[in-house]
Amino acid sequence: MTGTRIEDLLRAYAPQVLTTLVRRHGQFDACEDAVQEALAAAARQWPADGVPDRPPAWLLTVASRALVDQWRADSARRRRETAAALDPTDQAPAADADDTLTLLFLCCHPSLSAPSQLALTLRAVGGLTTAEIAAAFLLPEATIAKRISRAKRTIRAAGARFEPPAPAQHGERLGVVLQVLYLVFNEGHTTSAGPALQRPDLTAEAIRLARLLHRLLPAETEAAGLLALMLLTDARKAARTGPDGSLTPLDEQHRDRWDTTAIAEGQAILTRTLGTGPVGPYQLQAAIAALHDEAATAQDTDWPQILALYDILTRIAPSPIVTLSRAVALANVHGPRAGLALLGTLDTNQRMRQHHRLEAVRAHLLERAGDTQAAHISYLRAATLTANVAEQRYLTLRAARLQHQSFSAPEIIRE
Amino acid sequence: MKYMIMMFGGLGAAVRDRSPEWITGMHELLVTLDGELREAGELVASVKLMDPGQATTVRFTGGAPVPTDGPFAEVKESLAGYWIVDVEEERAVEITSRVVGYTGFPMEVRRIMDEAADL
Repeated sequence: MTGTRIEDLLRAYAPQVLTTLVRRHGQFDACEDAVQEALAAAARQWPADGVPDRPPAWLLTVASRALVDQWRADSARRRRETAAALDPTDQAPAADADDTLTLLFLCCHPSLSAPSQLALTLRAVGGLTTAEIAAAFLLPEATIAKRISRAKRTIRAAGARFEPPAPAQHGERLGVVLQVLYLVFNEGHTTSAGPALQRPDLTAEAIRLARLLHRLLPAETEAAGLLALMLLTDARKAARTGPDGSLTPLDEQHRDRWDTTAIAEGQAILTRTLGTGPVGPYQLQAAIAALHDEAATAQDTDWPQILALYDILTRIAPSPIVTLSRAVALANVHGPRAGLALLGTLDTNQRMRQHHRLEAVRAHLLERAGDTQAAHISYLRAATLTANVAEQRYLTLRAARLQHQSFSAPEIIRE
Repeated sequence: MKYMIMMFGGLGAAVRDRSPEWITGMHELLVTLDGELREAGELVASVKLMDPGQATTVRFTGGAPVPTDGPFAEVKESLAGYWIVDVEEERAVEITSRVVGYTGFPMEVRRIMDEAADL
């Protein structure tokens, strides 16, 4: 079995083993550490010794022993639990779907900061090691380790228990879970540059977790919408960056490099979902992504329909970022000046004024409106505002192209 | 021995009037160099900073720390990014020379002090 297959196995079993352990012994934080030890042991031993017959039982046994070692190290006061943990009678973890869901809710606890929610979710539910999470976020391993142990302390201090949220809070808590998964996805989607070779694919991980959530809560339309949105967006991944990490905008992408399987799956989920429950922002954004994916060429894009969807999105979940996207749709339906006028309404927003996307969109629309000089200034300003190297390079190149019109740049940007 | 190799200047100053070919060449040089240093086991860290125009400087003013927008030094003297490499001094200077040879902007090589006692 290859290393990757073993990693996949471990990630799939991680939440199941953890929830079984927590059910037996409580103490989420200690159990979580124990499961990490078991996963590390498996990653060391399985490639050499082969995968055991019952991998989850193996993991549970090793994790239970790790837990016992921890308790012994702590003190002798936990003798009773120790005896229970070593009880060999029932060593197969029950794959309880509700438990995995409870685990997800716990990791996305509202008392935690977003970075903590992300790290804890990826480790406890995603089964990633601390080193893998650190590599994914380009942070030192010690930073992630601290972040996770602090997150577990915070959860305990907040009095959170390993139980599903009360029905009255379910919707709100689910909203946080969706947001955390979407943040994981976006983290992987935007920072596609950098030394990508050793980075675990965060978008793939987010999709795997969204798939899990959708399976656990098939009736939640926004969970389905989020999965569809991720699939329909990620489908364009191969066409989005050139071999040198440069960025290719949607209207210049080679559409034959889009992943048709992912598009078909996203569309199917969306079709199945729309109309069965309340329409939320994730479904709407997925529907917009689907319209882009369905266009054979950029010119075939159904902009009037996209604008209509942004109008609904503006009504149910208004935000400056939605306004920004709506301005692009507006420009494509009614011309660049209409888009620019809408962008002007965002200039009074202090946070948006410092956001590179506002300036980047303005630069594009100014260029299309024929105002080369203003576009040049906007591109350069956007370049100084972005924190992403690939984006900065793209924006700098667009600016330079406006000043050196003789340059036949497209292959650099397109390929 | 570890050295920090520092680049200065804001993005605008460096690229405002350059051709797209120059910008692309610059990017390729940096990516190639990063890859080489990584492959050779010489690279400890490679950091690019956002434009100094986005910096905040905190000064002790009227008995209290007060943040103000903008960099501490002139934009063209502000740190733009750095490599930390674990090499001999000649090699650090050689790496630096390759970049300066392309950009024409000055760069600085500084040895990093040892943390551990070495007595």
